[in-house]
Amino acid sequence: MKMIMLAFRNFKSSVRIYMALIISLAFTIAVYFNFQNMIYSNMFASLGDHNKEFTDMIIQTVSVVLICFSFFFIWYSTNIFLTKQKREFGIYIFMGLTNQNIAKLYIVETISICIVSLVLGILSGMAVMWLFQMIVLAISDIAIDVTFQFRFEPVIITVIVFMCMYLFFVGKGYWNILRSSVLNMISAVRQNEYVKQKRLVLVGKSVLGIGVLGIGYYLAVKGSGMEVMGNILAATILVIVGVYLLFGGLLPFVFQALAQNKAFLYQKERCLWVNQVVFRMKKNYRTYAMVCVLVLCSVTALATGLAMKNRYDNMIHFEHTYTFQFLTNQTDVGAQAEQLLKKVDAIACQSSIPVLMLEENISVLAYSNVKELAKQTGMEFSLREPTENEVIEIQNMILVSFYTQQNYGKVTIYGKEYQKIDETMVPYLGNLQRIMNFYIVSDTEYQRLCTISQEIFTYNYKLEHAECFEAAREALSVIPTGSGEEGNFTARVAKDPNDKNDEWIKIFFPLCFFMFLVFIFASVSVMFMKLSNDAFEERERYLVMRKLGFAEKTLEKSISKELGTAYILPFIVMVISAYFSVHALERVMHENFFTIYWISITVVLAFFFVFYRLSVSVYSKNIDIDKY
Amino acid sequence: MQKKQVAEIKNLIKSYGSRDFETKVLKGIDLSIFQDDFIAVMGPSGSGKTTLLNILSTIDKPTQGIVTLDGKDITRISNKELSKLRRDKIGFVFQDYNLLDTMTLEDNIVLPLSLNGGLSKEIVQKARGLAEMFGIVEHLKKYPYQLSGGQKQRGAVCRALITNPEIIFADEPTGALDSKASKDLMRCLKGVNESGRATILMVTHDPLCASYAKDVYLLSDGSMKCKISQGSDRKEFYNRIIEVQSAMGGDFL
Repeated sequence: MKMIMLAFRNFKSSVRIYMALIISLAFTIAVYFNFQNMIYSNMFASLGDHNKEFTDMIIQTVSVVLICFSFFFIWYSTNIFLTKQKREFGIYIFMGLTNQNIAKLYIVETISICIVSLVLGILSGMAVMWLFQMIVLAISDIAIDVTFQFRFEPVIITVIVFMCMYLFFVGKGYWNILRSSVLNMISAVRQNEYVKQKRLVLVGKSVLGIGVLGIGYYLAVKGSGMEVMGNILAATILVIVGVYLLFGGLLPFVFQALAQNKAFLYQKERCLWVNQVVFRMKKNYRTYAMVCVLVLCSVTALATGLAMKNRYDNMIHFEHTYTFQFLTNQTDVGAQAEQLLKKVDAIACQSSIPVLMLEENISVLAYSNVKELAKQTGMEFSLREPTENEVIEIQNMILVSFYTQQNYGKVTIYGKEYQKIDETMVPYLGNLQRIMNFYIVSDTEYQRLCTISQEIFTYNYKLEHAECFEAAREALSVIPTGSGEEGNFTARVAKDPNDKNDEWIKIFFPLCFFMFLVFIFASVSVMFMKLSNDAFEERERYLVMRKLGFAEKTLEKSISKELGTAYILPFIVMVISAYFSVHALERVMHENFFTIYWISITVVLAFFFVFYRLSVSVYSKNIDIDKY
Repeated sequence: MQKKQVAEIKNLIKSYGSRDFETKVLKGIDLSIFQDDFIAVMGPSGSGKTTLLNILSTIDKPTQGIVTLDGKDITRISNKELSKLRRDKIGFVFQDYNLLDTMTLEDNIVLPLSLNGGLSKEIVQKARGLAEMFGIVEHLKKYPYQLSGGQKQRGAVCRALITNPEIIFADEPTGALDSKASKDLMRCLKGVNESGRATILMVTHDPLCASYAKDVYLLSDGSMKCKISQGSDRKEFYNRIIEVQSAMGGDFL
């Protein structure tokens, strides 16, 4: 048989085993291809240069993350492929094949997997190109017309990127085979299967793992200034290392202890599945850890997407609280503006509040006045009244802030030191909050400050219909703005309801959503593939048990529990870690993402459950459980 | 007092292949096994020994004939009942031990009982008692890969005995052992049989191994050719087996 025929035959037989891997890789390629296609097809050109520039930049950044992920994914998959094939290669050596021949065989097989994944990925990517763009637009709520355009550049880029990565690892494998001895090849599969590990080593690993994870969690949620990015990066690395140590230390330790506790072990199927988990732990813990990290990435991606969407909606709501705002020391401006606006359109909401401008960019408001404004406009108000020496800061809402340290320190206003007791992002003063710093003081303190500075007024209006904006602005132009000769001044702030300058933020959500899908598919396919492979190795063992008369149901229960453990362990560690990663998001976005956390967890749980059931059924089929 | 009949085979026929190319492996076998019997079935390669054992141990189904185990016709009962019968009434000893390499010897031995949900304390005591009898107590915490062939096979016998089965089916139990380990194992099996703890049906090609049994049946070309019963001396019994074997000819290995 010619070498190429042998390689092709091997590839055909391994395709079934590696189907999950191929599909997952093809899915990643399809997503990458579509990301590139969105950039090259000028999809967002109609949103204007500003938005296009930002959306393209975000897509490119996410694509880089996708490449990094694919790099590790291909590394992992080529590695297990190599280990799996080595034993077979050992037999070829006995048949007289040289290491070079075998290495060539390996190259043909692996490149075949790469080509199949690439072709599948690009073809399916092309087939769903239109659908992909529609989904992106539907999820992001960006309103543009999609024109179907086919460009060669995305295909070429995708092929080059993935081929390069694959060739790198194939080269590594080739080199590895050339240097391998026969003994090494034959024992490759069993190399990792040590049954028991030293207790002291496990305890050391566990303590180190918990410690490293703890520091990682702490850094993720620690309030900090500009060093927050460094903290988050360090937290990410520490959590990944911690997860690996935890799975390599604590889990074998716990399961070995369970296997030694006979009162626990000799209960129904436990003897089977607990021992099975212990036996495979050394080999499996890396997979569990990898799956855990991948799912953590997927939850974080989904949570980031949801959080961005949430934040964008809040920001838009914040910015469009009022269409026109006046800041003036003239008492008649309010009535005049109202009259002019009513001629153009109905007023959906209006408010007015006196302000004391004590320093440049620092103004204070009376507690009761803010309360009254909130009542008028229907805004939330749950602040307690500050005392004479206390203030509450009214903040501006921005997309993300890397300054996560809550600063409840002292604030000096007009020479007096106040204690800041709270802060709020409710848009009581709309876009004025973007321009100025506002503080709420007690009513008595406000009265005292009135003796120092002159009271000015804000008049705020929101139009009923966005299309009347230009006409309203025209109408309001009769009110003079700027400073007058007698110390009069009036400033006007307008926010066009049709303004789409921040549309680019919307792209975050669909991109994060697709990243979530890539990560979750990768994690479940890694687990699924591992378990399906295990089943082939377990076949003999289950055959013995069937011969010994163990009922099919008993074995099925044992399989369910063993596979359930494989899925539940990474899930639990992920749930704990995701709490901290979502909390870190909360800190940079100054929002509460409790619901988002639970939604993300539930979605992952649903995925895990479906693939767990699928794994149990494929595992049972692969071990041929009903043979006897 | 008449001993309890554990298993009975009547006119057992087993053939493989389609109607045109049918090969009869067993051609009408009759055999009765009573409590405390220790039977060895010998025969040349291809004589049908393993097929007979597989049918008796419910792993294979006969083409024709009746096989009763514990009073139940195994050809007529459901898979579920078969599984229960295998679990509760039959003990198996295989040539290649078939210990699960994922667990310690102790866990291997107690596995059939723990699956039934017994009390862990009693299970441990029982396993320990059997391990003492077979001289493997100090190896209980070891994994199969840390044990010799003889130790593994003695462990496998303990596993077969732990459920107090009606009968033990042993398929070439010494096939993978050296002569010393074989003798040790056979002495142990003989011991448990004589103490009334086990009825054994063993398939073997080794006359020395067969000489530890009470009765030896010689199977050839799918039929039982003769039965040799042990006298007072095992050595003399061994010589008789060799004689009959030589007279029958064929490849007994």
